[in-house]
Amino acid sequence: MKRILTAGILLAISFALLFAAQPESLPLPNNSPLVTLRLLFKAGSVNDPPGKQGVAALTAAMLSRGGSRDKSYDQIVKALFPLAASVSAQVDKEMTVFEGTTHRESLDAYYGILRSMLLDPGWREDDFRRLKDETMNFLRIQLRSNNEEELGKEFLYLQIYRNHPYGHHSAGTLASLNALTLEDLKAFYKANYLRGNVVIGLAGGYPESFPKKVEADLNQFPDATSQPVALPEPKPAEKLRIRIIQKETRSTAISLGFPIGVTRSHPDWAALKLMQSYFGEHRSSKSYLYQRIRETRGMNYGDYAYIEYFPRGMFQFKPDPNLGRRQQIFQIWIRPVEPDNGLFALRIALYELNKLVEKGMSQADFESTRTFLSKQVNLLAQTQSEQLGYELDSRYYGIPTFKNHLKDAIAKLTLEDVNAAIRRHLRSTNLDVVMIAKDAAGLRKAIESGAPSTVRYVTPPPNDVLEEDKSIKGYKLDVGSVEVVPVDTIFEK
Amino acid sequence: MNSCTNKMLIFVMLVLVAAGCSAPAKTTGTTANDNQIFPYPYAINDLPNGLRVVTVSTGYPDVVALYVVVNTGSRNEVEAGRSGFAHLFEHMMFRGTAKYPSEKWEAIMQAAGAETNAYTSDDRTVYHAVFSKEDLPQILELEGDRFQNLKYTEEQFRTETRAVLGEYNKNFADPFRKLEEMVRETAFKTHTYSHTTMGFEKDVENMPSMYEYGLMFFDRYYRPEYTTVTIVGDVKPEETLPLIEKYWGGWKRGIHKADVPAEPAQDGPKVVDLNFHTPTLPIVDIAFHAPAYDDAINDSAVLDVISFHSFSENSAIYKKLVVEEQKVETLFPQYYDHQDPYLFEATAMVKDAKDIEYVRAQLLETFEKLKTTPIPAQELDDVKSHLRYQFAIGMNSTPAIAGTLAHYIGLRRTPETINKRYELYRNVTADDVTRVAQKYFVEKERTIATLKYEPAKAKARPQ
Repeated sequence: MKRILTAGILLAISFALLFAAQPESLPLPNNSPLVTLRLLFKAGSVNDPPGKQGVAALTAAMLSRGGSRDKSYDQIVKALFPLAASVSAQVDKEMTVFEGTTHRESLDAYYGILRSMLLDPGWREDDFRRLKDETMNFLRIQLRSNNEEELGKEFLYLQIYRNHPYGHHSAGTLASLNALTLEDLKAFYKANYLRGNVVIGLAGGYPESFPKKVEADLNQFPDATSQPVALPEPKPAEKLRIRIIQKETRSTAISLGFPIGVTRSHPDWAALKLMQSYFGEHRSSKSYLYQRIRETRGMNYGDYAYIEYFPRGMFQFKPDPNLGRRQQIFQIWIRPVEPDNGLFALRIALYELNKLVEKGMSQADFESTRTFLSKQVNLLAQTQSEQLGYELDSRYYGIPTFKNHLKDAIAKLTLEDVNAAIRRHLRSTNLDVVMIAKDAAGLRKAIESGAPSTVRYVTPPPNDVLEEDKSIKGYKLDVGSVEVVPVDTIFEK
Repeated sequence: MNSCTNKMLIFVMLVLVAAGCSAPAKTTGTTANDNQIFPYPYAINDLPNGLRVVTVSTGYPDVVALYVVVNTGSRNEVEAGRSGFAHLFEHMMFRGTAKYPSEKWEAIMQAAGAETNAYTSDDRTVYHAVFSKEDLPQILELEGDRFQNLKYTEEQFRTETRAVLGEYNKNFADPFRKLEEMVRETAFKTHTYSHTTMGFEKDVENMPSMYEYGLMFFDRYYRPEYTTVTIVGDVKPEETLPLIEKYWGGWKRGIHKADVPAEPAQDGPKVVDLNFHTPTLPIVDIAFHAPAYDDAINDSAVLDVISFHSFSENSAIYKKLVVEEQKVETLFPQYYDHQDPYLFEATAMVKDAKDIEYVRAQLLETFEKLKTTPIPAQELDDVKSHLRYQFAIGMNSTPAIAGTLAHYIGLRRTPETINKRYELYRNVTADDVTRVAQKYFVEKERTIATLKYEPAKAKARPQ
């Protein structure tokens, strides 16, 4: 009996060893004089406990921009300054990533600091106070007051994901941040900085022994994985759910969208990616929406479409990696237009979206977009940090190297595949619309009246465009609800 | 005759045919040198028409970045009412030619999978494209065509002016944009640096009426002597030069020289305050007139060292105000390389309006201290090390190298200026820092700007 018991215990131990969570590794060695680390934790703001919104982001901020136990934040800055190196953190819904690049000459010094920041945080009250202030000012001032485009986009996500684990900004809310304590951060760290959550990304000209060293260090995290957070399907908006943010502004910004059940793992992703590139390639004059709204009509600075989260798009041309999500939305971004043309601009976006859903893409547009994508994908990840980021994301989504995955998938696509995917996943009603306007009440009234829009041009566009305008001005808005939202209520709770 | 000589002969013949047997391009260049900060071999070729071609082989495979740098920016907007025009013109450059109307240009770039865009600054306008190396010949033809044969209608021009207004509007809620406008307008009275690249609001509004001026602007400044074609990546000069000769060699040299008025010495300290239209934390900015970019005289390089030493995240004042006292949200220096003398600024975003005066006094004290107290040798070494590593870490891809290079090409039309500049950094002494601080941080040349949000006043002020 005793023998059987011992055997049972031994078996259990070996099982435990066999299934012990290990940090995954993703090494991309090369001959570069630079070394890049991307240490990814599969935990993010979905893991914020109820009432503790923002704790994932503030914890990452404490690790990357606070002191370790052996060095104050100021000492860390002093030590990293001669190396021109830093540690940055990015927190999204499902992942947190710490990134840094250093010259290989200074790798030991750099890694020693990074290691103690992540494994042995200082948890100092004054760092906490500084970073909490900074986060609250980010929401209250930068986002709410000083960047209308990003505000519109983020508020769109809040609308789509009401009562959902994605339903708060990753930075948190002002009420939750105000209530957060250092103990909350320590608890989050303990619950989520776990061995089974880590993927170690390394790229560059690091010594052969380096990956083992990093693995051994990160093995010090507790042997566990975060509890998975269940994600319900977001409830679709009824008809057009329009929210107008009232704000002191010169122009009218517009974002609209709806959830799509497609991520990079989905068989229809490549078809939708091709559609998105045609309909609204980010910051590109080849975007169809850009051509119709900016180039032909001169209404604003640009018009784009997305099938993945792309924050900070007004500052950058390419998306940051490591924003992987289990759920994504389709989104149209109309950059600010003259207030007189606000409603007309919304109507163009919906009219064009409706046309896309009903008629799909043409063979010529399909072919040219496919050619573009098959070459442009080679340019997507130029730096080793980006290459590492894309590889980590591919692993998250369970797909091959992004470049190969996209190339292979689009090579197999037909026009019918793309148009079928458009019909399956896109729609021009039951969606959320966010507008930002000074005369929000007036805009609401105009929408509710159902009256045709007016449009003002500095010079008349070509006749065929004027002809099309007639249809757009009266394009029926299938309005479910319109509400005015005072700007100072956003991100409050 | 061995094959190498054969190739050379063919190369020489191509050059002569393409250039119509006029004087061949003059070539200078370097091979890679481990001791210099810019580690890539490059060639410079000057065409007889004044066009300069800089070719840099980076060692990164397959990708080419083409940066066409035009030495024309908002600095060239010398006539009243024309501020913002260089930037508007950058937009017009995407409106096509008779041979390649914009749709055709777009289609070819799309087929190449090219990433294309452009930007305008005070001193230059840069058109860039990143693509696979096999598409270089076609893209050089396309770009050569639009720089020589741009053609657009008045309607297209007027339509594009509204896209520019949209660009102005999208930045309207950014307090740092407003701060920059007010500091420039206060500190400069005659030089065109008095306006931002985006231009004065009233001039942007008035752009639709400037069609005729646009034609003149193109005729004046879009000329080979203002332009450097910079080709970076998986390229060899001997392969690219014949293409440039073929597609850009016929471009006619211009005659116009911008007469940019020099800024006289400031006649006393200036102060400017502004109430912003939407909530913001208060911003305090202290600006001194400062020298233009230079790679021979070290004053501007010393000011760069000061900016990193005394106002960066690593500085004593940052530690005090941001980390310890936590009265300041963010603090940073601004001293950007310019063709003509510009400004050295220290900018702080203050958390509470009651601390504005205190923060301002602390910043002023930091400037004063630099005049009297030499900075410790170790701290100077740390800044030098930072500058060196920062440059090396930034050189991480072909587009990144091309982007950095375009900045320096815009200043001196040669990569060599980078090596000279970093040599100046290497030799900066503590005495240099004291001397330069005494020379430039003088009250008479100072502007202090404060931007804040006071709701009562903001409502009363029409926007």
